[in-house]
Formats: sequence, C-alpha cells, structure tokens
Amino acid sequence: MTRIIIAIVLFITSLVSAQGQFEQGMGKAFQLWGEGKNTEASAMFERIVTAEKTSWLPNYYVALVNTTTAFGTKDATQIDLLLTKAQNALDVELIKTPNNAELLVMQAMIHTAWIAFDPMTNGQKLSGTVMELYAKAEAIAPENPRVVFGKAEFEIGGAKFWGTDTKPMCAQIEKAISLFATFKPETPFSPKWGLERAEAALKNCK
Amino acid sequence: MKPFLLMAILFFTIISFSQTMISGKIVDEKNNPVFNANVFIDGSYDGGTSNSDGDFSFTTTAEGNKTLVISVLSFEIKKLEIVMNKFQNKTIILKRIATELNEVLITAGTLESGGKSRVSVLKPLDILTTAGNPGDIVSAFKTLPGTQIVGESGKLFVRGGEANETQTFVDGLRVAQPYLQTTNNVPTRSTFSPLLFKGTSFSTGGYSAEYGEALSSILVMNTIDEPDLEKTDIGVMSLGASLGNTQKWKNNSLSVNTSYINLQPYQALLPDNIEWIKPYQSIGGETVFRQKLDRGLLKFYASYTAANFDLKQDDINYPDKIRTQNKNNNLYSNLSYKGGFGTNWNIFAGISFAKSQNSGIYDVYNYDSSENASHLKLKFVKPISDKIKTSFGADYFYTNFSESVTNFNTGYNSNIFAAFSETDFLFTNNLIAKVGFRFSKNYLLDESSIAPRLALGYKLAKNQQFSMAYGTFEQAPKNDYLKYSTNLQAEKAQHYILSYEFNKDKQIFKAEVYYKSYDNLVKYNTNTPVFNSNFNNNGTGFAKGLELFWRDNKNIKNLEYWISYSYIDTERNYANFPKQATPSFVADHTLSLVTKYWIQDWRSQIGATYTFSSGRPYNNPNETVFMDGKTKTYNNLSVNWAYLVSPQKILFFSVTNIAGIKNVYGYNYANTPNLAGIYESQAIVPTADRFFFVGFFWTISKDKKTNQLENL
Repeated sequence: MTRIIIAIVLFITSLVSAQGQFEQGMGKAFQLWGEGKNTEASAMFERIVTAEKTSWLPNYYVALVNTTTAFGTKDATQIDLLLTKAQNALDVELIKTPNNAELLVMQAMIHTAWIAFDPMTNGQKLSGTVMELYAKAEAIAPENPRVVFGKAEFEIGGAKFWGTDTKPMCAQIEKAISLFATFKPETPFSPKWGLERAEAALKNCK
Repeated sequence: MKPFLLMAILFFTIISFSQTMISGKIVDEKNNPVFNANVFIDGSYDGGTSNSDGDFSFTTTAEGNKTLVISVLSFEIKKLEIVMNKFQNKTIILKRIATELNEVLITAGTLESGGKSRVSVLKPLDILTTAGNPGDIVSAFKTLPGTQIVGESGKLFVRGGEANETQTFVDGLRVAQPYLQTTNNVPTRSTFSPLLFKGTSFSTGGYSAEYGEALSSILVMNTIDEPDLEKTDIGVMSLGASLGNTQKWKNNSLSVNTSYINLQPYQALLPDNIEWIKPYQSIGGETVFRQKLDRGLLKFYASYTAANFDLKQDDINYPDKIRTQNKNNNLYSNLSYKGGFGTNWNIFAGISFAKSQNSGIYDVYNYDSSENASHLKLKFVKPISDKIKTSFGADYFYTNFSESVTNFNTGYNSNIFAAFSETDFLFTNNLIAKVGFRFSKNYLLDESSIAPRLALGYKLAKNQQFSMAYGTFEQAPKNDYLKYSTNLQAEKAQHYILSYEFNKDKQIFKAEVYYKSYDNLVKYNTNTPVFNSNFNNNGTGFAKGLELFWRDNKNIKNLEYWISYSYIDTERNYANFPKQATPSFVADHTLSLVTKYWIQDWRSQIGATYTFSSGRPYNNPNETVFMDGKTKTYNNLSVNWAYLVSPQKILFFSVTNIAGIKNVYGYNYANTPNLAGIYESQAIVPTADRFFFVGFFWTISKDKKTNQLENL
C-alpha cells in the first residue's frame, strides 16, 4: 500500500515538476525579454519548443520576440535573418492550427515588418495579404483586442498615405483598449500584450 | 525496513536529479567566437547562451545519450549526439548559413530582375514603371548594359548579336516566337504580360550549359509559383482594354489575363507616318495553372494572340507605297514539373509547344508561313556534398517550318538532341567554380558538337566580388536561311567575360569587360536571302566591349535611379557583307538613365528615362567604302506619371520622346542607281516622333488594397 502511495506521490510530483518546469521556463523567458535580453529570451523559448511539443505558445513567442527585434533593427542582413527565424517558428504552428487568430495576427506582423523594411518593394506585394489576414482573424475572434488593434493600426498607415480620415480607425483602437480590459487569456502564458501600444497609438490619434 | 526503503527511493530520486555540467566554446569556421548561441539539450529545458568569447556552460539533469542543439542566427543549426557527463570544454564549430548575402556567386553576364537576390538589378515594379516602355517585359531590359537601341525592331540585340541570337525561355522551356509579328521598321513587343511573372534572368553571355541554341544571350522568365490573393484586374487604355482574374484554392490556383488592342482610335487622333488600311488589332490571353503536389509543383502556362494589320509603306525601290497585310496567330504553351525525390534529388521535367502562323499579302505576293516548335527538357540536380553540386539533363528541340509565297513552297523539319552536365565546386567560401559541357546533335544539319562552359566566382570582400565566364555557344541558322538551304552548319561563338560587382545597402555597381568571337556565320551572295542564293558558313566576326551599371535607391530620398553605359567594338563578315564591318544595328556608345521619383503629397510616381546612343553605321552605295556612313546620334527622353486615385485605382500617363527629337535609325538605299547614276536613299525613322499613352487600372479584391501599380 505504502509503495503504491509513494509511487503515486512520485508520479504526481514528477507531473507537477514537469508543469512547474514549463511555467518556470516561460517565466524565465519572459523575465529575460522584460530585461531587454531578446536573444536569450528567444533562446529560452526555443528550448521550450523542443520540450513541449503540444503547446503553440513557445513558437508563437519565438516569432514575436524575433519580429519585434526586427522592427528595431536597421541592418538588412539581420532583419532578413530575424524575420526568417520568426516565420519558420510561426509556420510550425500555423500548419497545426491555421485558424488561430493570435497566429494570424503574428503572421500579419511579420509581413508588416517586411513592409516597413522596404515599402517600395514589399508594400504592394504584402499589404493586401496583411489585410486578408486581419479580415480572417476578425471573423474568427472579433473580440480579440490584438486583432482589433492590429487591423486598426495597419489601416491608419494606409489612411495616412491616402490622406483620408483616421477617425474610424481611432474609434477601433478605443474599442480595442476596452477589449483589453475584459480580455481573459486562456492560460497564464497566452498572449495578452498590446495595451500599452494601443494606448500610445491612441495618443497619436489626438 | 519501510523507512529505509523510502529513504532509498528518495535517495535514488535525488540521484536521478543530480546535475551534470555541460560546457564548451562555440566558434565559426575561422575560429572566431560565436556570441549568443543557444546551446541546449533537445527535448529539455536545460541550456545556456554563449557569451562574447563563445563560451557556454549550463547544468542539466539529463543522463545518458542526448542530442545537444546549437542554434544561432546566421549559422546552420547543429545537432550533436553526446554522452552526458563527458561533455566539458569541448569546442564546437558552426557553419555559416550560405545566404545570398554572404555567398559567393557567379554573376558574369547575368542581370537579374525580381526576387530577393542581392544581384537583382531590376525590381518587379521596374518592368512597368520605367518610362518609355508601357508594360513590355523585354523593353525594361533594354535600359540595361549590353543591349542596343534598335528602335525600328523592338527586339533585344545583345553585344553585337542579331535579335534572333537571344533565346527566350519560360519556366525553363524555349519560346520559339517570343515577339508579335510586325513588318519593316515597325517595332514589335513581346507576347508576355508582366502580371504573371515573378523573376527574370537576362544573361548577356557566358550562361549555363542548361541553355542551348542561343548564340549571344538568353532571357529566362519564371511564372509566379503562388499568387498572393484572389483578384480581378480591369484596365482601360488609349490602345484597348485588359481583364485579368486570379482564383486560389487549397493546393492550386488559376490566373487568366486577356487583352484587346486596337490602334484605330489612336491613329485617327494622332496619325503616324504609316498609311494604315487597317490599323493593328490584336486579341490575346495568357493563363497559368499551378498545382501543388506532395514534393513538387506542376505548372501549366499558355498564351495565345491573334493579331492583324494592313498598311502601306514607302519603299525606295518602288514608286508606289508597298502594301503589307498580315494575320498572325501565335500560340505558346508549356507544362512543367519541378520537385524533389529521394534524398536531396531535384528534378525538372517539361514540355513546350508553340505554333505561329502568319499569312497575308506583301506587295503583290500572297504568303503563308507556319512554325511548329516543341521543346522537351529533363534535368536533375543533386548536391554531392557541402562543396559539390552537380546537375545534368537532356533537351530535345523540334521545329517544323513551312512557308508558301504565291505557291512557291519552302520549309524544313529540324530535330536537335542535346545533353548537358554541370558541376559546382565550392573550393573555399570565397571561391566557386562551375564546370560543364553541352553535347548537341542536329539531325537536320547532320552534325554534332561539344561546347564547354566554365565560370568562376571570387569574393573579394563582403560587398565585392569578381566573376568570369568562358564558353562556346552555338545555334542553328535562322529560318530565313534554313528554309532555302539545309546544307549549312550551326553558327558558333566564344564568350570571355570578366566582371566586377559591388553591392551595399540598396546600391549596386557592376563593371564588365568581354570579348566574343564568331565563327561559322552564314553568308549569302544576294541582296536578301532567296531560294537560289549561294549559302555558306564562312562568316566570322568579333565583339568586345566595356559595360557599366550603377543603381542607387538609397542616397536621395524617394528617388530611385540607374545608369547603364555600354561601349562596344564589333565587326562581322556575315550575311551579304563584302567585307568585315560593323553591322547597322550597332552603336559604339549607349547610355540609359532611368529615374523614378515618388511624390507623397501627389500620391504619384513620376518617372523619366533618357537614352542616348552614338551614330549607327549604314551602307551608302554611292560611296566606295562599305558601311562607311554614320547616322546622327540618337536621343530620347520619355516620361511617365502614375497617379494613385484611390487604393485600387490608378491613372497612368506616358509620353515617349517628349521633346519630339527627330531620330534616324539608318538609311535604306535603292537597289539600282537613278538616271543620274546616284543611289537614292530613304531614312529609317520612328513611325511617330512622340507616342502618348493613357490608361486607367482598377483592381477588385477582397482586401481593397491591392492595385496594379506593379503592372504599369
């Protein structure tokens, strides 16, 4: 009897410790990212990818870290490498769940980074695809604040180019901000970023 | 006993959680430390990141045999099978990813368009936003070094070669008739719509053994593998209208483009110097179907154009104008498959079929000609190691040509088999060689030959490289000769090219020198080739020159520009030349300046293209020396304006030769002298001094963003 109990205890302990490992790992990665150590954070997420085959989150964050790093990079070679890495990580998850709104937003962001890098070449080629991605994400998750904000932010870029009114997009950003307040991430590590960026974008609206 | 057991179990559990230290150093192939490498045990959370000295260390609870993964940007991922507790202070060497950016390339003779390649000299948009060529794929290449301005033809003339010495390929397969039919001194255009193509590689010499039956140059165009979106394109132009549609499904997609061109309204408004009985009119379409398969892609491409015109032109040899009436049907189709099989094998297989028919009246003669051509190709590519890659394959060209001029029939059937093989050797990361040969057997001419090819690339520094190419090239004589005589041999050329290239940050500089020798060129002894001409292969010639190219998209905000300069010295003794001389299509100096300026406030792109060439030779029979005449210089300034009305609507204007400069391409002389003993002459001039184009383009897609700017 005791043995069985011990066995069960050990089994549960190991389960808990595996769970704990995921949380510890993710927590560590977020900590590194928060400290601005993007490469280390990406490295940590990459390790989690190999250990946790069932969660789409680690690859999502590999893509997110590298894409946001690319936005702040000037060197053409480096941008190419970062975005290719992000794309590869994202592709793994998009094949498994092509209708995950967060992944679609991520894909739109990678394309937006390419557009920002070389608008003359990539603008014409990718902006249509970006809008298509946001439209698809919106159909799946109309109340997801990142979908609403991402779409509005991208449309503002277009509206500025065309000199048209940005009010409808600003209203969408306001809506996104209110959605952030009520948005409940599915797990502690599910995407929940974006409120600060939305608030900053709203300031530019006024 | 029980507490002991418990203790033991716990003890073993702790042991099993005991930690091993893994440490080492990450370096690149030159023993430089690699910073920020992610080193970890596959399938675990245990890992570390290398510091600026390349050193890493971490502890792990894993035991036994595990896989150590090292991943870092710009290096290939490395996986090592290691035994835990035996991996300390080991040095791990990583291999840099062979990206285009650091790879050594062979670029001698090659001018790329599209793609992410750093050696791309044209972007996809350039094809259509270059002033002076509304939408013709071929004409954008005429602003690049190595080409001649031969305004009366509209075709590509490369490095002293005639237009037929450039061979066009779509998805690897030959296009027998890439141009629409025209008549004397009325420029033609290519049959391709830029909408369907992603990248084009234009080689002015020294090309791969894969491509044969081309003496001077090849133009390799690839259709888009996967379209971005579903959309409908509508265009209304001063010359006609176009309609396109793209549909996408899960594993396949279909694009269709159609166009209708009619020069009648334009001619009524702005008549040119041709007397049109029936102005040029054409209806055409292109389609691409793509099917993704397990490990490959199957593509079908087809284009069809039906065109006709009827006109009268002055001819110095006749008192009255000469009538040319023409009906042209041009069909081209190809089916190709590319994919992988086995371990690292790549296969390409394709077949093309072309049918071109021309019939009509020239002066008082009825003519009817037809060409059926097919090309089959099979190619395999296999990397033997990191340093060696080989490819080999075979080609088959079939041509059936027949012509009847007022019941006088000529024609021929040609079958050419060829096999080719080429191997890339990467000696060091800075030096690559490509060695190959092409064996060819022409059954009609009953001859076979082996043509060697050699190319080298040497990377001098991060942004600079040299390359060189050598090869012998051959091509069966053109239809105009073969239809009268098959007692001929293939024409031959040797190319020697040395090229230097610098590229950095949206700037490209390219300099190239070359020498070309021609042998076996066809000669004949009459004014024009006719059935009773005496043909032989005794012609020879040479071409040498220097070419410069500079493109800058960086230094001036919102401005992109490029400059091409070509100097050529060439002479040939071919066709009916009495002695070696520079042919009439060659100008010694050619210069193009292409600019595009974006004005945000106007949401407009303004483009201007200036082209200059020095005088071209012509033969004046009143002079004793052959080909001694020189035309005046050629100057042309063309401008265009693309205005984005709304995200999906574009208005486009262009004016060719805005200053209306009277250019002269050459002179035709009478075959016989007049009563005063003088040969009279007639200038070959553009059909109109200026050419205006207005178009409105509208794209309908779900996203409401895409437009046809790329197509202008």
